[in-house]
Amino acid sequence: MYFELLENIAQNNGMRDISPYTKLLLGLGCILIVITSPGYIVPLFIAITLSVCILGIGKIPVRLYLTLLSIPLGFAIASVIVIVLVTGGGMTVFSLQVTNWLSLSVTVESLNEGFFVFCRIFGGMCALFFISLTTPMTDLFSVMKRCYIPMVLIDLAMLIYRFIFIFMEKAELIYRAQVMRLGYSTYREAIHTSGDLAGALFLASWNAGEDLIKAMDCRCYSGQFALLSKETPLQIRSVLLICIFLGFCCTLEVITADYTIIPVSI
Amino acid sequence: MHIMEGFLPATWCIIWWIIALPFLIYGIIELKRILNQNREYLPLLGATGAFIFILSALKLPSVTGSCSHPTGTGLSTICFGPFITSVIALIVLLFQSLFLAHGGLSVLGANILSMGIVGPLAGYAIYRFLKNTALSMYITVFAACVVADLFTYLMTSIELALAYPAEIGGIAGSFTLFFGIFAITQVPLAIVEGVVLTLVFKYIVQLKPDILVSLGVFPKEKIESARSEF
Repeated sequence: MYFELLENIAQNNGMRDISPYTKLLLGLGCILIVITSPGYIVPLFIAITLSVCILGIGKIPVRLYLTLLSIPLGFAIASVIVIVLVTGGGMTVFSLQVTNWLSLSVTVESLNEGFFVFCRIFGGMCALFFISLTTPMTDLFSVMKRCYIPMVLIDLAMLIYRFIFIFMEKAELIYRAQVMRLGYSTYREAIHTSGDLAGALFLASWNAGEDLIKAMDCRCYSGQFALLSKETPLQIRSVLLICIFLGFCCTLEVITADYTIIPVSI
Repeated sequence: MHIMEGFLPATWCIIWWIIALPFLIYGIIELKRILNQNREYLPLLGATGAFIFILSALKLPSVTGSCSHPTGTGLSTICFGPFITSVIALIVLLFQSLFLAHGGLSVLGANILSMGIVGPLAGYAIYRFLKNTALSMYITVFAACVVADLFTYLMTSIELALAYPAEIGGIAGSFTLFFGIFAITQVPLAIVEGVVLTLVFKYIVQLKPDILVSLGVFPKEKIESARSEF
């Protein structure tokens, strides 16, 4: 399924051997800059540079990346339309009084705001995809351990991570069996069958999980997973390069703070 | 209901994180306590977490900077209480934002607050209120799940309205708009979710009643009498 795919890509991407700290520094730094940016130029700039990084250095297929990006951006466009209609200020371009408490209007400022929010989502999404496409979850677990996140939390996270895959496996098995026995032939039948699927799925994965923990207990599981992580040393050059890039973005943020897509003063 | 990465301005991201943190810290302490008490709970914790992940990944687009989907938090609220549920929600939402680009890291605080704290707290309140009445156990579970789901969306609408108040009508105006749009898709979804989770609960009563008794979810007599009906 979809997220299995993302994990697979992350395990085999071109930046697999770069230290996860370096990648997180770039990804999280960009998210921080994007959400604090007062203008639309920096988020757009970050979106484009990170996309080039993901495609060029990470060697993610272009078509796949575009498909991945199109889903959240579709959602983003729908939400931006609402913001444009609801917020206001400046010259009115179009206005519609729906009921006495709600009026929808498109103004210069709301268009600017809408475009700005869209760029911020675009930039944020690219930064998020940068992290999820280049850094496998297993690497993130060892980073979390190093950052003194409570062990019980990481433990539960790893368990849920494993359970999600058990779930998917069982879901596919049960679903196929149901389809073969004509479980989804009519609408009524389908509702009944999907209820059964949910219940059976929960119990099946619960049992599988119990077995998993019993098996681990036999191997002296003490409530802490032993993590074997490949230690990749931090490369000073790439860290410096990222710092320069982030610094450049901050400067750009200050310079382009007042830029809007439609000039306000007309 | 997941708000997207970059959708909220930085100040709101920070405010929601600050509100969510105490709940998470208390949740982690609570989690440590029950796991020290009995390790048997671990598989159930994992299964409810994965269940929340799957249910809340089934999203329908909704035009409010967000989307509609079941939340699935009701069951773990009833079994483990709202605080541990908030920790599970933290993990699930982190995975969703990294695996599915569903939600985001900067808005994680806001998403935890709606799906992991406000929804479960409301569901838990209903559950505690109905727990010791003569009402059927299944109706209690159903009501708690539906309420947890609806309050999650109520909170998300508040979060969105605070960040983007309407020109006319202000915060209240945009709240009505956001919640109105959510309600169209969410009320039927919440009911479906309630039915599914009640069914799952019924399976648990049928096959593993001991764990419910040891967690003190329902009085023993109630579970025994429900079992004798099968």
